[in-house]
This record gives sequence, C-alpha cells and structure tokens, in this order.
Amino acid sequence: MVFTELLAMAEQAVGEDVVDEVLDGLDLDSGGAYTAVGSYPCSELFAIVGALSDRTGIDAGELQRQFGHWVFRTFEQGYPQFFADKAGALEMLEAIEGQVHVEVRKLYPDAELPTFATRMLEEGGLEMQYRSDRPLVAFCHGLVEACVAHFDRPMQITRTGGADGREALFVIREVR
Amino acid sequence: MTNLPPGDDRVSRRRYARERSARQEAERLLEERALALFHANAELKRQAETLEEAVRRRTEELEAAKQAAEKASAAKSAFLAMISHEIRTPLNGVLGMATALADTELEPNQRDMLDVIVSSGNGLLALLNDVLDLSKIEARRLTLETIEFDPNQLMDEVVALHRANAAEKGLDLLIAGHLPQGRWRGDPNRLRQVVSNLLSNAVKFTACGHVSLDLRMIGDRLEVAVSDTGAGVPEETRPKLFKPFSQADTSITREFGGTGLGLAISRRICRMMGGDLTFHPAPGGGACFVATAHLLPLRSGAAAGPDRACPYQRVLTERRWRILAAEDGATNRKVLDLLLRPLDLDLSMAVNGAEAVAAHRATPFDLILMDVNMPVMDGLQAADAIRAAERAEGLPRVPIIALTANAMTHEVSDYSRHGIDAHVSKPVRREELAQAMAMQLCVRLRARVEDRPQAE
Repeated sequence: MVFTELLAMAEQAVGEDVVDEVLDGLDLDSGGAYTAVGSYPCSELFAIVGALSDRTGIDAGELQRQFGHWVFRTFEQGYPQFFADKAGALEMLEAIEGQVHVEVRKLYPDAELPTFATRMLEEGGLEMQYRSDRPLVAFCHGLVEACVAHFDRPMQITRTGGADGREALFVIREVR
Repeated sequence: MTNLPPGDDRVSRRRYARERSARQEAERLLEERALALFHANAELKRQAETLEEAVRRRTEELEAAKQAAEKASAAKSAFLAMISHEIRTPLNGVLGMATALADTELEPNQRDMLDVIVSSGNGLLALLNDVLDLSKIEARRLTLETIEFDPNQLMDEVVALHRANAAEKGLDLLIAGHLPQGRWRGDPNRLRQVVSNLLSNAVKFTACGHVSLDLRMIGDRLEVAVSDTGAGVPEETRPKLFKPFSQADTSITREFGGTGLGLAISRRICRMMGGDLTFHPAPGGGACFVATAHLLPLRSGAAAGPDRACPYQRVLTERRWRILAAEDGATNRKVLDLLLRPLDLDLSMAVNGAEAVAAHRATPFDLILMDVNMPVMDGLQAADAIRAAERAEGLPRVPIIALTANAMTHEVSDYSRHGIDAHVSKPVRREELAQAMAMQLCVRLRARVEDRPQAE
C-alpha cells in the first residue's frame, strides 16, 4: 500500500499530470502500476521520492515525513479498530510491534517490516528504537508525529541518530 | 513489467475513477479473503495439533496395552511350561507303573481296571499335549523338525493305530490311493499328529459305514483326505470348526469328549508345513478333511538307500547292553527300572549328573539315559563334561538320550548343542524309549562291524 498511497499523496500535492510525468521519466520495472496488496522493489520507492523531490524542490527527508503523516491518516480511515482501545499516542506506538505488525503478517506473511523496540520511561514518556533494512527514518518520524497529533495531546518528540536512515532512537514525552 | 500505452491517449475521468475504485475494491476484497484464509489456516493447524496429540496419546495407550498383553502372554507360557512339567512328572509315575503292572500276572477284572488306568492316563497326556501345543502355537514357539522319513510307512503306522478302535465300532478303515515309494524330509511326528487327529475324529463321529484315507502325492505336496460316512458337520457350525475350544456343539463334548483343540492345532501345523487343512462335505452326508503339506526332497548325496530303521527288539537283545540312567526322582528311577526290565539290559542308576559322569568314567557304558533337571549337576552340564572328556582323551562317543518333562520345543533344540543325541519326553513310554535306544545302539553296532577289519 506504500506505493499506491505515495502516488495518491503526490497526485493531491502536485496533480495527476506531474505524477504521470515523474513516472514516465523513471525506468521502473513495474511501469509505475501498483496495487495496495502487491510487493515492489524498495528501489522504486526511493526513485519516485527522489524524482518528486527534484520536481518540487522539497527535500526527500521532508517528503518522507509528510508521507508519514499521509499514511497515518490512511490507517485512521482504513483500520479504526487499532485505535479504538488506545488511550494515547504512547500506548498506540507501543502496540505497533505486538499488535499492528502481527495483523500485517497475517495478510502479508513475507512483509519485511521494521522493528520498534519500545520502553516506557518512568518519568512518563516512551523510548522507541527504530530499525529497518530500508532508510525510512524520516517516514517513521512523520508517522510518530501524526500519531501524537491523532490523540490530540501535545508531546515532545526527539530523534537521535538516523544518519543512514535505517536506525534511530525516538523519545516521546508529554509536554507539561 | 506492465506495458503502458504511450502518448496522450486519454480515458474519461469517470472511467478512470471507476477503474480506480474497482482496483481499491479488489484490494479490499483480497485483504478480507487473505485474513479469512489466515484464520482458517490457523484453525486447521490447531486441529492438526489436537489430532496429533490425540494420536500420540492413543498410541501410548495402545503401546502400554500391548506390553501388558505380551507380559500376560509370556506369563501364561511360563505357567503352562511349569504346569506341564509338574503334571508330566507324576503322570510318568502313573503310566510307567501301570505299564509295568501289565507285565505281571493279573486277574481279568484287575486287567480291566488297569486298562482304565492306562487309557485315562493316556487321555490326560493327550489333553496335556494339546494344551501345550496350542500355547506353543500362540506363543509362536512351535517349531518343526526336518528329518528323513517314509510317508508310506508313516501312514501305515497311523492307520494301524486306529484300526482297533474302528473295528470295535464295526467300521471299515480303508486306505485309497497310494504314495510313490521313497523317502522325504519333513516332520513325521507332526504329520502323524495331524492324520491321527483326523482319523480319531472320523472314527469318533461315525456310527456305521467306513472311514477312508485317501493319499496322493503331487510333486512335493502330500495330500491326505480323511472322509467318513458319519453325520457330517452342520453348515452353521462349519465356520467354527478350526477355532480353538469350540466343538460344534457343547453336547458333543459331553457325548464324545475331547478338548476341541485338535483341528485348530492340526490346521496350524499344516500351514506351518506350507499346506492347509480344509473341510469339505463328503457326498452322502459325511465329513471330509483334506490336509496338505509340502515335503522336502532328500539332500543330494543322501541317496534313498535301503531302510536303515532298526528293529529294536533285535538290536536290544543283540547283547546285554550296559546302560546308565541318571535320574534324581526315586519314582522315575523305579519306572525306568520296571519299563526296561523285560529287555534284559545291564542297567545302572545315578542320582545326579556328577554321579553319572563319575560312573561313566570308571567303567564306560554303551548308552546313557540322562534326566535334564537334577540337583548337584544337571543333565546338560553332565553331557558337556562327558563330551569334553571324550574329546580330551580320544574316547569313543557314548550315545546320550535326554529324558525330559519339558516338552517345549525351543528347549529341546538346546540339547543337541550340549552333545545330546536324542530325547524322549516324560511320561516315558516303553515303546518310544526302546525305539530311541535301539536307534542309537544300532549306529554303534554298525560302527563296530565297520571298525572290525582295522581292529583285527
């Protein structure tokens, strides 16, 4: 679903014609035809993000972050059951590994998912270690921000590491 | 992967929107089905695990039940072997003494009483043998011998055994068909048991008319059909004929006696011999049982020479043989003494194996009768000692015949390993013992005759 959602976001932001031009300008094995249920090479994702960045002048990392927000909204609409019993953003983030990913694997047993090792902090807050084979730290950052926004309680998000985009430590704290 | 059409060929916005929502619908449906499939799979996996667990548990239960059954069966076999020994020993005394008593002067009414004792004893012995045979068959311990014999002679002997009973009931006992002359290899004793069982049944269940024995040899397959003019076997009881302990009718047991084991045992013996035992209604209402068995041809080189059977009376009276009998039971020693008395042998007694070894060493005997279970030194140890001494000192080999109340075949097969030449089971019958002794002494006589030229 990452590909279809990326294109949907791009269409809304820059219009169908630009998206068509971007796709036509790339040499993609898939030809730019994606479905939500298929798996496609990760390189195509970065090629599209890179091309969109060139086209719009927006930094690729920033694009990833915005995309995180976009995808989170799709989750809200498509899978409200995950949010129903969560009291706050920290609880939600803590449940990704043990709950959301479990459900994802039921549908897509071969999905190469990132890991979110979480630890509740005593003083209130959550530490979350992101690890992935793909350099999507910025995308993850966008998701975390959107999640915090969803529960409508201001939080402070700090990110350390993530230079290579594959590993970063997020600390999410309530703002008092 | 996908070839997109080039250029600006456009579709209508409505059409585009429809295609897009169709794709999204397909994606949604696919996820729904995939999830359903996942749950179905998980359920199946759970069921498989439950089943596997059930199978594992059941297998364990069956294994335990099997072990318990095998243990019970082994206990039964051991019990039967023990009981058989315990019964045979006193029966040896009863039958031996009765036989010896028959050699004395008796009043006619005393002789009648003695006949009852002998026939009752023999009946008891037959019953004991049947029960033992069946238990051996069930424990898969019944083994067959492979020795040389003449089927014609065997059949003549069996028929002779039943002729008196048939005549007493006014029945004709006929032999039809014939076997080609010649010797074969097989188990004549078991074959005799089968045919004897069929003949005794036929005579027992036929009130008038005849019993006939039809013999045929097809290749190496011996076929013996025993038919009678009796009442036959009612159709509904035929399926039970070969089942142990099931005589056609319990009233039969009361009227004719018997254990109902004979046919079951006989069939198993025939099958072990590569044949079978089957029932066929005889024309005219009687019964016809057909026993078949495969016989082995003589080994090449062992030409079917002149019959080397020994007329035992002649051999035993050839000279006054020196015989040693080792036997710990006083009754059994007395029985042996009385049984052998008419043969005019030079008989010495030893009460255990050690005495026997010493006695034979002091003055060698022509033949040794050796009880197996004895205190101090048992028969097998004594035989070992005697053979070892013969080998060490280059002495001639003395024939040793084991006397045993243990009729289990697997034990008998041990004996030859201990240098025992033959065995006679207790209760010892005079005929049987004399035959066995004559057979061994015969070999000795021949050897002497052949040795003489060199000796002189």
